[in-house]
Amino acid sequence: MKKVAIVGAGQSRYGDFPDKGIKELFFEAYKDMNASVDKGLDPKVIESAYIGNLGSGGFQLGNMSALVTEYCGLTHINTMRIENACASGGYALVAAVMDVMSGTHKAVLAGGVEKMTDVSGIKQKYWLGVSGDTEYERLAGTTFSGLYALIAQRHMYEFGTKREHLSMVAVKNHKNGAQNPKAQFQREITLEQAIKGPIVASPLNLFDCCSTTDGASAVLVCDAEMAKQFTDTPVYVTGFGTASDFLAIHDRANTTTLEGTRRAGAMAYKMSGLTPKDIQLAEVHDCFTIAELLAYEDLGFCEKGNAGPFIEEGHTQIGGDKPVNASGGLKSKGHPIGSTGTGMAYEMFNQLRGTVQKPTRQVKGAEIGLIHNVGGSGGTVAVTVMRR
Amino acid sequence: MAHVSVPMYWRTIPQRYKMIGQKCKKCGAVNFPPKGVCKYCQTSSEFEEVQLSGRGKVHTFVLISAGGAPPEFAEQEKAGGQYPVAIVQLEEGPKMIGQIADVDPKEVKIDMPVKAELRKIYTEEEVIRYGFKFVPG
Ligand SMILES: [Zn+2]
Repeated sequence: MKKVAIVGAGQSRYGDFPDKGIKELFFEAYKDMNASVDKGLDPKVIESAYIGNLGSGGFQLGNMSALVTEYCGLTHINTMRIENACASGGYALVAAVMDVMSGTHKAVLAGGVEKMTDVSGIKQKYWLGVSGDTEYERLAGTTFSGLYALIAQRHMYEFGTKREHLSMVAVKNHKNGAQNPKAQFQREITLEQAIKGPIVASPLNLFDCCSTTDGASAVLVCDAEMAKQFTDTPVYVTGFGTASDFLAIHDRANTTTLEGTRRAGAMAYKMSGLTPKDIQLAEVHDCFTIAELLAYEDLGFCEKGNAGPFIEEGHTQIGGDKPVNASGGLKSKGHPIGSTGTGMAYEMFNQLRGTVQKPTRQVKGAEIGLIHNVGGSGGTVAVTVMRR
Repeated sequence: MAHVSVPMYWRTIPQRYKMIGQKCKKCGAVNFPPKGVCKYCQTSSEFEEVQLSGRGKVHTFVLISAGGAPPEFAEQEKAGGQYPVAIVQLEEGPKMIGQIADVDPKEVKIDMPVKAELRKIYTEEEVIRYGFKFVPG
């Protein structure tokens, strides 16, 4: 099998952009990716594209990947939309990696785009919160905040995780996002603010939940043998893992473990020949604060049940021994669903090459990083490990 | 839209009205709601129907406030303030999600005993949807 490298990565700004649709957003990320290729990119080398997307703003459910790629001038290439809820982008990246590994195509684009702010608040709720086991979970009166709150409550009960621990995730990620010029919310919040946010689905409050976001991202994946024609400092994909689970939380034997994360992580470590200890920084799926704590445990960064103390001790801050979500995470950077996974790859590409936009956010000297993207409440999970 | 049509709803009436579960003929475990293949042994699709008692205890719960309620439940949230939703550990083995009614939300606790009752869930397409909610007891 072919070895795989990432040689370029781009991201649009994340936020609320009334003047941009999915085509314009994706083109912004695509241009940014092209500009990032050190030795220049002739777009004609791109043979294939995988685009993560959930809802296309509710208006282009069919053929959206061809729509956004032809808008960028990539007419006639192989292209497909990948949909695995909030993990769509992570799976688009894995699809691109597998495409190159197999030798089918040499240079492949993995990207994602979502337009979420065009839909009214009431429609957003019909359109979102539809990736659990809707026939049962939705019919009990929950959306995703409620589902993650069920997990949080049980985690607090089993392990003594505190309200403060949840809020520490929000405070850390807002601190990082405040230094990310492409983040949706570039402002810090205090622990007190985070603890006292208006309740959404108790125990989760507004500051425990990510927002709705417009945005796009794109990375260029290629056969490692040709990487040096694009850059002297490629980032190599050492392994990936993907796994699924029961959609409904009530169907799972264990409420406080995302089995999909555990299995996807284990597979990615094994393929990479690495262990959790070797990971020097990570971008994990913090759609809700509890989700980041689960990720610490299920990816093996700390013992099961110990995520609360782990964040409290500062391990996951920039400057700690395992910085997590230096980008600001979904919480502060934003969560344009289909773009989130490849947006994480964009951040990791820059972190490992030492090229993040603001040096205050740069994790110095990191060589090995992991990205982790969750669909729904854990129904699908994609993990990718990379090193420079 | 996360819209459960009347025909979709109608197909699940045995679960929603009567809590009919599936006892696996191979491993003996009870699946609820139903699966094509037993979720425990993952090998058998031979089941016998069992009537669940609806009794169990709260495994975990959430209190849904404004912003956390799906639009089809917004009216309920507005009328009564936050409403509790729980995953209940049923005495026959499976866990199931449902609202808890007839309780002060502040009184809901993990391990609290509950039982299922047929209640009005919500109205969509001018059709009232009935199903089970849990109540203390
Ligand atoms: Zn069985």
